[in-house]
Amino acid sequence: MNSVNFNINFGYLEGLCRGFKGGILKQTDYINLVQCEILEDLKLHLQSTDYGSFLANEPSPLSVSVIDDKLKEKLVIEFQHMRIHSVEPLSTFLDFITYGYMIDNIILLITGTLHQRDIRELIPKCHPLGSFEQMEAIHIANTPAELYNAVLVDTPLAPYFMDCISEQDLDEMNIEIIRNTLYKAYLEDFYKFCSTIGGSTTEVMCEALAFEADRRAFIITINSFGTELTKDDRAKLYPRCGKLHPDGLAKLAQADEYEQVKVVADYYGEYKPLFDGAGTGPGEKTLEDRFFEKEVKIMMSAFMQQFHFGVFYAYLKLKEQECRNIIWISECVAQKHKAKIDSYIPIF
Amino acid sequence: MGSLFRSEKVTLCQLFLQSEAAYNCVSELGEIGLVQFRDLNPDVNAFQRKFVNEVRRCDEMERKLRFLEKEIKKDEIPMLDTGDNPEAPQPREMIDLEATFEKLENEMKEVNANAEALKRNFLELTELKHILRKTQVFFEEAEYYTQAASNGPMTEESVNLLSDEGLTQGGQQALRLGFVAGVILRERIPAFERMLWRACRGNVFLRRAEIEIPLEDPVTGDQVNKSVFIIFFQGEQLKQRVKKICEGFRATLYPCPETQAERREMAIGVMTRIEDLNTVLSQTQDHRHRVLVAAAKNIKVWFNKVRKIKAIYHTLNMFNLDVTQKCLISECWCPVDDLDRIQAALRRGTERSGSSVPSILNRMTTKQEPPTYNKTNKLTGAFQGLIDAYGVATYREVNPAPFAIITFPFLFAIMFGDTGHGIIMFLFGLWMVVKEKSLGASKSDNEIWNTFFGGRYLIMMMGLFSIYTGLIYNDIFSKSMNIFGSSWNADIAYPGDMGNNVEKLMLAKTYRLNPNSTNWSKEPYPFGMDPVRLGAMSQSTFGL
Repeated sequence: MNSVNFNINFGYLEGLCRGFKGGILKQTDYINLVQCEILEDLKLHLQSTDYGSFLANEPSPLSVSVIDDKLKEKLVIEFQHMRIHSVEPLSTFLDFITYGYMIDNIILLITGTLHQRDIRELIPKCHPLGSFEQMEAIHIANTPAELYNAVLVDTPLAPYFMDCISEQDLDEMNIEIIRNTLYKAYLEDFYKFCSTIGGSTTEVMCEALAFEADRRAFIITINSFGTELTKDDRAKLYPRCGKLHPDGLAKLAQADEYEQVKVVADYYGEYKPLFDGAGTGPGEKTLEDRFFEKEVKIMMSAFMQQFHFGVFYAYLKLKEQECRNIIWISECVAQKHKAKIDSYIPIF
Repeated sequence: MGSLFRSEKVTLCQLFLQSEAAYNCVSELGEIGLVQFRDLNPDVNAFQRKFVNEVRRCDEMERKLRFLEKEIKKDEIPMLDTGDNPEAPQPREMIDLEATFEKLENEMKEVNANAEALKRNFLELTELKHILRKTQVFFEEAEYYTQAASNGPMTEESVNLLSDEGLTQGGQQALRLGFVAGVILRERIPAFERMLWRACRGNVFLRRAEIEIPLEDPVTGDQVNKSVFIIFFQGEQLKQRVKKICEGFRATLYPCPETQAERREMAIGVMTRIEDLNTVLSQTQDHRHRVLVAAAKNIKVWFNKVRKIKAIYHTLNMFNLDVTQKCLISECWCPVDDLDRIQAALRRGTERSGSSVPSILNRMTTKQEPPTYNKTNKLTGAFQGLIDAYGVATYREVNPAPFAIITFPFLFAIMFGDTGHGIIMFLFGLWMVVKEKSLGASKSDNEIWNTFFGGRYLIMMMGLFSIYTGLIYNDIFSKSMNIFGSSWNADIAYPGDMGNNVEKLMLAKTYRLNPNSTNWSKEPYPFGMDPVRLGAMSQSTFGL
């Protein structure tokens, strides 16, 4: 697939995606949003943006969860439109993007079932982009093997389950391990798929996925300090498609505390500045926020090239970040606690 | 159309309105539509403006009206649209409107909730009825097989699982098979079957049959296709598992009695209950219909009123509030020739609000370029729109529109050039123009029709001019015509070519006519082009 023939099949969708990207909120919008006193002000301001009257039919008073649902709904409609109108290989690419959400949904449902929640309560909490037919019947499974054999074997996630099948029961700890194992297999598969597409897609997507893999490696390491996760188990959870593979991952597997992780990051030019000055003190950004910032930067640079599929992935990620920003601001406004309202991640 | 030659003279005016009179004055100015307001608060956010609460209340009212409109459309009740222009209601009437809408909305929500509950009940009973009927078939089939089997050798498949023979065959003396019966959406059956088979390791037995008529989903009102299924299993564990899977696929389970006599009793009971529910349901629908019909009479008028209120408050948001003198100040562009009408409107507004202080309209001088305003009527409006599509002229520039009224249809006619089709076009345009009141009143949604109707004068003139050029081109319904007879004669041939030899002339394929000959009628063709060109070899490329 080269740039000459790209527009025959994908030109409309890429144009549409760039149009959507043009509607992402700008810095001036955020400045107006942080000045709101009540949620209705937010609704009034958002009417003048690309969001339009998406809250028009909601009865007042608004709540943050309603805003969250509607934001997600709009994004899902846009994504579904692009997915329905796409042909191979773009349709496989977009399907790959949804597998990540499917994994999140599965883990959410299993966790909820463990806590004796009714399946019907949990279904509305699932992300709509990751829904599949067998999703609602997940609660019949008690062990991972059952989960695989009964439910997941027909879904596209079946090959990722190879490493996860064990006869242990599904409990809290194992669920996180399952989530990370699934995600690792998914990331590596996605990376391989993007490499086969070739062209600018490979360039852009492999960079984005490498960053995602490295980010997960760091976060898993930091979160596993003080838990019962052994170092070997931890090493098995690191996705191998990032820049940290193989040396950085080997070092990370040996790390025992935050400082050692920082030392590993210092070897890599892209990650050193993220760890510098990151912390939980006042005025400092947390490490997660810095990772989000870097992600936004990578996604913005994806739009600099043309004739590749990375724009769809980047658009989805940027829109998600925007949703997170709006929800953060809404929460601060709703609770009238505006001290940290400026901690959103600006996109433009 | 002298005033259409250039755009109108427009001046900047300052408007001082007393706070009580402001609403009514803006309302009157809105009705005459001659004023363009400038936003004096450009830096203020939308939600920090003065009248933002009133705008929010209007938004709420519109939301309620939209909800009512959706319900009315769902029931396909026609909404009365008389096309008359309701006046903007006073601010105190806004509270009455709000109360009315609130009451209607609550009533509709209540009726809808009741109807939904009833429909759900009805759906359950209907599904139960279908189950009883279909499982009858399953059990009967099994009976038939046992009859046939008792005459011949028993095979595995033909054994009735539930009868004692089957159980002794299977070697299980005292264990009975349990079963659950239910209804599921047809689209989910393949995945359901597959999951059942996987989760229960093939130890359950599923029979299904489709329900022929589509059933109505109580929540959305869509017609959905469903199927009846019955699952046989053995043991408590499998039962739990089967139940969980059914829950996961949103299949509804119903208690189905085992013996035929019980089933028949239940079926009769269900039929009577269904009939009762039907009557209650139809009564609920009638009530809902009555409420909606009453609302449908006024809904268009309400929409217009609410929109006017909203527009007035949006305009008032652009004003500057002068706290010391308790008046609102605004700047606006007004056409100089219409200043009297604007003053009259302001007077009417102040009178209606009962305020004693008159509103003041001051002319201001400014270096800014005023907006372009062209006064059009229904004839010139279409042409002005055509010109504006290419670009709006700057202030007081020569307006191409009056020239376009003639040149556009004429250029069209030169390209069209057919008398017959021109007559049809002209008559079509004429019909639209003559009937414009009645055709305009029926507000159609069809975009193509609205385009034609908006350009009815244009079409009429294009048709008229096409008749003229069609006569010049000698073209009618794409056929050539020769009305007056050609001025050329066939014996005007070049000397030396054929002379007057008629036989040679008749046999020749082509010949040239000599324009310099003296043998001609000495009069050119009276109107249009001479039809002799239609016999020429270059005919097809000429005149197109």
